[in-house]
Amino acid sequence: MFWQQVVNGLTAGATYALVAAGYTLVFGVLEIINMAHAEIFMIGAFIGLLLVTGTCCPVWAAVAGAMIGAGLLGWALERLALRPLRKQGVSHLAPLISTIGVSIFLMSLAMKIFGPQSVRFPASVEPRFFNLFGTVNISLLQIVILGISLALVAALKVLLARTRLGKALRAVAENPEAAGLMGVNVNSVMAAAVVMASALGGAAGVLVGLQFNAVSPTMGIAYGLKGLAIIIVGGMGSVAGAVAGGLLLGAAEVLAIAYIGSSYRDAVAFIILIAVLLIKPSGIFGKLEGRKG
Amino acid sequence: MDLLNVYHLQIITFMAVNSILALSFYLPLSAGQLSLGCAGFMSIGAYTAAILSLHYGMPVFTTIPAGAAAAALAGVLLGFPALRLTGVYLAIATLGFGEVVRVLFLNLKITNGALGMPEIPNLNDYFSALYRSWGLQGGLAGLDLPRLAALTTVVFCYFVLAACVAFVLRQENSRTGRAMAAVKADEVASGVMGIGATYIKMLAFVQGAFLAGLAGAISAHVTNFIAPGDFNYHRAVNILLFVVLGGSELVWGGLLGAAVLSVLPEFLRFMQDFRWIIFGALLAAMMVFRPQGLIDRQLLCRFSLRKKPGMDGMDARSSSGEVD
Repeated sequence: MFWQQVVNGLTAGATYALVAAGYTLVFGVLEIINMAHAEIFMIGAFIGLLLVTGTCCPVWAAVAGAMIGAGLLGWALERLALRPLRKQGVSHLAPLISTIGVSIFLMSLAMKIFGPQSVRFPASVEPRFFNLFGTVNISLLQIVILGISLALVAALKVLLARTRLGKALRAVAENPEAAGLMGVNVNSVMAAAVVMASALGGAAGVLVGLQFNAVSPTMGIAYGLKGLAIIIVGGMGSVAGAVAGGLLLGAAEVLAIAYIGSSYRDAVAFIILIAVLLIKPSGIFGKLEGRKG
Repeated sequence: MDLLNVYHLQIITFMAVNSILALSFYLPLSAGQLSLGCAGFMSIGAYTAAILSLHYGMPVFTTIPAGAAAAALAGVLLGFPALRLTGVYLAIATLGFGEVVRVLFLNLKITNGALGMPEIPNLNDYFSALYRSWGLQGGLAGLDLPRLAALTTVVFCYFVLAACVAFVLRQENSRTGRAMAAVKADEVASGVMGIGATYIKMLAFVQGAFLAGLAGAISAHVTNFIAPGDFNYHRAVNILLFVVLGGSELVWGGLLGAAVLSVLPEFLRFMQDFRWIIFGALLAAMMVFRPQGLIDRQLLCRFSLRKKPGMDGMDARSSSGEVD
């Protein structure tokens, strides 16, 4: 029973990790909290839903389509709401507020188009179960979710570590001015960070839609709040921290539901957050200098 | 007289409550603390007032201060761990505090869980009963009793608001207020100047919690009904928006923002279906074109009759936007 819960928790945690990786990428490179990320996640889920119901795409194509759509949305967000604020003398609260504005805009737009009720996701993966070690069952869907999530986060990690773009991203994260002087196009690198983060968010949206078999305009809020908690628990700007924090939260939530009660589920993330902040304010994988936040 | 119908009076009342909330966000911010816990403190105030008046039969004028005091106490308890954090960390931790409080109220017996608490004694009813006991059943000066009572509620709320504003303004020009400004500008430097930064931050944080609790308690007695969902993430964001839209440098900015954001949704009611879409777009556009909010020091200086020397120095510092 315990190990079954852990498997379920890790599946949920993998999608949390994917959402949190998007937050952490934007925070690491642009030093802003992208409050619209949760709504991009939700729009990604709807794009996936439309692709699956409209064209009967397989799951991987729906995920890819959602990533492209969400990525475009991220590009628009960066161009319209973030880049104009990147000038001298603008309070660092401004990007926070403008992304809140975008998030209200996207959520109410989705409300208007799709209606407030949650829509069922057609089961495009047949419910098959595999038995592990005699006691634990894992469904094909869970394997797909875990596989896609972890593959995407691993791809992000490789991109950051090995490619030219990754090097530019890390340089801008370290010091935008110095990176600019070294010939890095800071604006396009920042746009790339937002686009990549949004694409990850869109993929997470489809996977969560599949997991709970439901998509709704308000599905982003809980994931957004948890994603924020995770990046602090894991350490701001750290992809490894986002993954560790996401998996930890998924497991902790499922265990809390099993042993305490389902109604406390949404508080788990923040109880972990406050506990971690008390012990190690920079997060599990955070550097101490990250505290300047 | 049509202007004074109960619906309008209620919007005007909410304007006062929202203005107190804006102050509760402004106070920690004036000491450099970005706290999103206002919704949580507000719910503590509201639930304390509701429980005391419903379960213990305490009168309205004792439950409102009690609600504010309970929120202030929670502020002290949260402040010790939370104020070790700065900037975004503090913002998310306090937002998390609000969520934990909400889930707690959702699960407690005494708060009636997700169903919320109905039939909280209403300020209007209280004033109606008071006037009736004075023999004013027919109303006064052309106003019938419900309107007269609603009008008294409005006056009461604005009286409380005026007291809060007066307090914040007085404090800003005092030794404490200057210490807060110094901590906001540079915590380390203020420490070198002999300011106990921890004490000042705690003071501002607890004052903010007190005002949020006050607003919560009043709103519980104005709306008759509270549920945990009233104090969710949206409420926290709304309070943040009051101050940032109006202008976070000055007290007046928050008050203007609260007034605008209380009334704007009512004006946009004719396009009901699109109002939140427009609202979101307006907000993003506002940050692009006027990121410092509607009111800032410069604007105020232009309109104020007496020029204050030394204001320019303050300007340069605050416009660099160092909150953390």
